[in-house]
Amino acid sequence: MKFISIDKNDWTRGIDKSREKYQLFGPVKDENGCLIKKLEPDVQPDMGLHESVMSAKSVIFPQTEKILNASLDESIENHHIMQRAKTDYSPRAVLGIRPYDAKAMELVKLNFDTKDFKDPYWCDAYEATVFVGLGITKPGPFDFSTSVGTGPFCEDGLDVLLADLDDTYLAKILSPKGEAYTAACGFNAIVDEKESQALFDILRKEAEKNIVSQVKIDKLKEKTILELHEADFWDDIAFACINCGTCTYVCPTCWCFDIQDETKQKQASRFRNWDTCMSPLFTRHATGHNPRGTKVQRVRQRFMHKLKYFLDKYDQGIMCVGCGRCVKSCPVNIDIREVCHMMNSYEKQD
Amino acid sequence: MGNLLEHMGIERDRLHFSWISSAEATKFVDVVKEISDKVRALGSNKKFEKDYN
Amino acid sequence: MDTCIEKIRELSADLLEKGEVTKVIGFANGTIPMATSPIAIKTKQDVDKLVFNSTCGLNLANYVSGEKGKIAVIAKGCDSRNIVTHIVENQIQREQIYIIGVPCTGMVDKHKIAALFEDEIIDFSEDGDTLMVSSLLNTQTLKKQDYLKDNCLYCTHKNPVLYDVLAKDPVEEQKFDNLFPDVDRIEALDEDAKWQHFENLTKNCIRCYACRNACPLCYCPTCFVDESGPQWVGKGQNKTDVNTFHFLRAFHCAGRCTDCGACVEACPMGINVRDFTRKLNKDSLELFGWEAGLDVTKRPPLDTYRPEDPDDFIK
Repeated sequence: MKFISIDKNDWTRGIDKSREKYQLFGPVKDENGCLIKKLEPDVQPDMGLHESVMSAKSVIFPQTEKILNASLDESIENHHIMQRAKTDYSPRAVLGIRPYDAKAMELVKLNFDTKDFKDPYWCDAYEATVFVGLGITKPGPFDFSTSVGTGPFCEDGLDVLLADLDDTYLAKILSPKGEAYTAACGFNAIVDEKESQALFDILRKEAEKNIVSQVKIDKLKEKTILELHEADFWDDIAFACINCGTCTYVCPTCWCFDIQDETKQKQASRFRNWDTCMSPLFTRHATGHNPRGTKVQRVRQRFMHKLKYFLDKYDQGIMCVGCGRCVKSCPVNIDIREVCHMMNSYEKQD
Repeated sequence: MGNLLEHMGIERDRLHFSWISSAEATKFVDVVKEISDKVRALGSNKKFEKDYN
Repeated sequence: MDTCIEKIRELSADLLEKGEVTKVIGFANGTIPMATSPIAIKTKQDVDKLVFNSTCGLNLANYVSGEKGKIAVIAKGCDSRNIVTHIVENQIQREQIYIIGVPCTGMVDKHKIAALFEDEIIDFSEDGDTLMVSSLLNTQTLKKQDYLKDNCLYCTHKNPVLYDVLAKDPVEEQKFDNLFPDVDRIEALDEDAKWQHFENLTKNCIRCYACRNACPLCYCPTCFVDESGPQWVGKGQNKTDVNTFHFLRAFHCAGRCTDCGACVEACPMGINVRDFTRKLNKDSLELFGWEAGLDVTKRPPLDTYRPEDPDDFIK
């Protein structure tokens, strides 16, 4: 594995150089918090301690994405026929994300990129993107990533992992995409592999030690879906829920979407928007029937999907990377760690 | 309503309320003329126009 | 804050034991600093889960409608005003609800406090008017008065307006010459600056609808933004649609909003949602002499007609 040392004084110059070939995305802090945004030419990514309210998923999967276009002008050829919208899939790099946001993309990929079906919009964007993570040296109180198999220095899904060494970044190049990106920045000070790996190991262990929040997921697999589904705790968990979409929108692994058509004069467009299983509209049929018509059914669905259905279907762990964003942002403090504990330790009472 | 629109930054002259009896044809014409003149002077409202690109 | 929690627990236990109510709706401790979570207590044994402190900024009136039996609810001044509104709007009957009123000394603004720290807050506690807040890097002692939510700063109904019992003695109400300096500031802007102000306000909105869902006024079975036949407003992130949602929701709250600040409390993006509703509260007061939720016998001004209603907008 190749390691590069980047002097922080060269950082901005390097990434500015990369803008010739890459569209850049990264954390931007404003008065209301930190978000992952497209970086305008004069904006630099915020590489500080701020944890972004939203994950990096919007880089691949924008909250609103135009996917198809059609003309309603009957005088032109192919009118009323939907054609793929023009989207810029030139190389893009997302900088300074929390490492497990990239792991989340790998989990989401299981859904969007399968043997039988490939979502062209998601796959093309994923293919175009270089993920540059920044190891978390001071994990926040909500971070429970080590419990769910990721961690503050998780490398899965990343192309480059940076470690902050005060004056320099130590970069671990994890893929050819990462190699190409660092080359485009002109970062080329190769450093000793063994020493660097040892340093990474120390930082990782130190950071993991600082994670105060733990959950147990070991027994979820052996529970049956029905016994969890019929467990007696769902009413209590759901009571406080206001059925907003915050948890699903801040979640790096929630992927559900809704399709909407809109027209303006002779132009028709088809969009896809993030959707949320917390909304009654999510499952309401055209007949008016709603299979998940009550709040408690919707709350149960979200946790069952993340912590049980996904686990059973793909056998790749739970659909959660432990970032803790939903814990922090939930307006009524419904805590997935508590729910996970209840599910994991649930024993049916006869 | 008018106050809220104004507060948002929408020109007040875009919203008109009038009480016109079905027998007041002349008043109706006058009011419509006045409204259309005022709105024409303001031009089209770009603030609520959706941009699809 | 004198949380009077012992009294609240005692009253709740008594009500549950005597079977006067099926549940008591209150706040429980959260799992993270500066958070509390609404909870329904159903047995006397569970009343110890109830807490009351300066982080109970949500509005519990949001949890009382649709109940069949008789319930009890812990109500601050603003919660009680929204219960009044619920009664006026037939969302619940007065006989169905036992109100344990809590005179309130204000709730803290979590965003203002979080902004003082570079990293995440790991501990929060309060003692009277003093707040102790720490992150991994830093500990600060703050005066609660300096970090109140904006709506609490200008609150003139700290004491519940409708209750069956008070958990402590009433507190002194504040008086102001001008209740709406924030609205005045926006009104002083020119048209484009006003529009810009609101566009900036919503630029980070993710349309999670936490503001709407945390609001006790928003109980429509299907909200206009969710309606698809006809579809009134687009569902995506187009800023026209986002702003349409916020302005129209605000207008639906005209003359009904108690300025409880639950919308701001719930917003994950730190948007000052009250900027939309405040102008309507100001107009309600100036044009109709009306403040929402003070009297169960009076209907809101946009619901009623009086000959003396201002009509100079009709030409």
